[in-house]
Amino acid sequence: MNPSTDTNNGHLLLFRSTNWHRGMAPEEIQRIMADWTSWFEGLQQKGMIAAASPLENEGHIVAGDAHTDGPFAESKESIGGFFMLKTTTMDEALAIARMCPALPYGMKVEVRPVAPACPASKMVEEAKAHAMA
Amino acid sequence: MSSMPSPEIPKLAEHLFRQEAGKMVSALTGIFGVHRLQLAEDVVQESLIRALQTWPYYGVPANPAAWLMQTAKNRALDLLRREKFFNDKQDEIAASLERLPEEGPQFDDEIRDHRLRLIFTCCHPQIPHDDRTLLALKTLCGFGIPEIASAFLASEAAVAKRLTRAKQKIQDLQIPYEIPVGNDLAERLDAVLQVIYLLFNEGYKASSGDALVRADLCEEAIRLGRHLAEHPRTDCARVHALVALMLLNASRLPARESPEGELLTLERQDRGKWDREKIVRGMMHLAKATGGDTLSEYHLQAGIAACHATAPDDASTDWPRILAHYEHWMAMSRSPLVALNRAVAVAKVHGPEAALEAIAGISDRRLLESYHLYHAVLGDLAQRLGRDHEAADHFRQAIRQTSVEAERTFLSEKLSGCVSEGEPAIP
Repeated sequence: MNPSTDTNNGHLLLFRSTNWHRGMAPEEIQRIMADWTSWFEGLQQKGMIAAASPLENEGHIVAGDAHTDGPFAESKESIGGFFMLKTTTMDEALAIARMCPALPYGMKVEVRPVAPACPASKMVEEAKAHAMA
Repeated sequence: MSSMPSPEIPKLAEHLFRQEAGKMVSALTGIFGVHRLQLAEDVVQESLIRALQTWPYYGVPANPAAWLMQTAKNRALDLLRREKFFNDKQDEIAASLERLPEEGPQFDDEIRDHRLRLIFTCCHPQIPHDDRTLLALKTLCGFGIPEIASAFLASEAAVAKRLTRAKQKIQDLQIPYEIPVGNDLAERLDAVLQVIYLLFNEGYKASSGDALVRADLCEEAIRLGRHLAEHPRTDCARVHALVALMLLNASRLPARESPEGELLTLERQDRGKWDREKIVRGMMHLAKATGGDTLSEYHLQAGIAACHATAPDDASTDWPRILAHYEHWMAMSRSPLVALNRAVAVAKVHGPEAALEAIAGISDRRLLESYHLYHAVLGDLAQRLGRDHEAADHFRQAIRQTSVEAERTFLSEKLSGCVSEGEPAIP
């Protein structure tokens, strides 16, 4: 067990690249969609999915006093969607990520363990709750 | 890449995306104008991608085709608002887009009309011959560049380049988006029929390339042909003849390969596997084709295909009639390939010697030298005359000239039949 990557809080899969499908034939798009759906539903049936969603390309970036709004250009790095997995080990999460049907087409899947709350801040929270009671 | 289909996916027709893409590009081209063909294609592509991104998470919508069309329309309106180019026409175009009804019988009619206009545009005499087929595949049939490249044994870059050039040409020459009328129609229709025929043959011949893509090519060609046959302006004898020929030949596709992928010649095919529905529809079109006073090459080929399709078994094939069709066809075409096929019919009716004589009389015979089936036919004839040594040479030559694995296997069997075991029994 690797304490820094195994977690009781699950793992987040971030699907990077919003332009991997450029130039693809309609038939191929449909095929990948079918594969993706059965992959996703398989995980759901096994109870592995806590949350999942595609992301709009529209959006805003707030940075200091700057403010950029989308739609953002398609790129290899931007995030197109996410899965929140109920996995406990990094190996388990990686095995799922490797099954992503868009990998052969240049999509990248970033796997991040969700960190547990810091014990110190947890104590503060508990103390607060106690005081309010 | 294959996995179990999810329970959700069977709701999607197998080739839904490809078919919808062709329809949507045609409809949107009608609104944007044919000079913005690329825009229509882009918007359609985006709606498919949108489906790819959202359906797997939220499920397939109740009417996938309508969903795709609505998404493409929204995307198009979006782009219009951003493009200064459209400013003066924007309201008009936006109104047309709004008017585009969702799926329904009326919509189908309109779509058919749009698809026919687009194929007449793609096959305009000012577009180079070879590019017409590529354009039709890309815009009308929803084929991807990699698929087209694999079907035509060309590089993807080369296909992409030719498509860009052809689209530029449509724009530069302001090629109209319409079904021609009057004197133009006959000649323009011939160009369209030729492209449909090419599409079909590209799929039908057992060349290398993805088998699935090839079967789809045949289906698309038949679909386009039927659109023409159903339209009042293009409902004429040679259109029906072409549709008949495609349906009758395609009826044999399910029986053409053994489970092991071995190529089966007509006499070895299980006729029970022939597609009866296609045969019936083909015969109906053939009946309509004989109404007029024109006799096209398509008529004769359909007639030959009909002789095969209606024979309950190989022995009862009406070879004299097939030979008569070939005689007519020879009178219209100087192709040595037609002459070679006629020789096969001659062998069936008058025996191998007569067939060899017929082959010796083909005027452009040297053009056949590089064609593997030419040597295969010579091999067969020699073998039937008991000249096994000569037959073996021909089969070896044929094997050298094809790269299709199924054909090589078939020819190798033929070869082994005449090298060691003396006289094989050939009916």
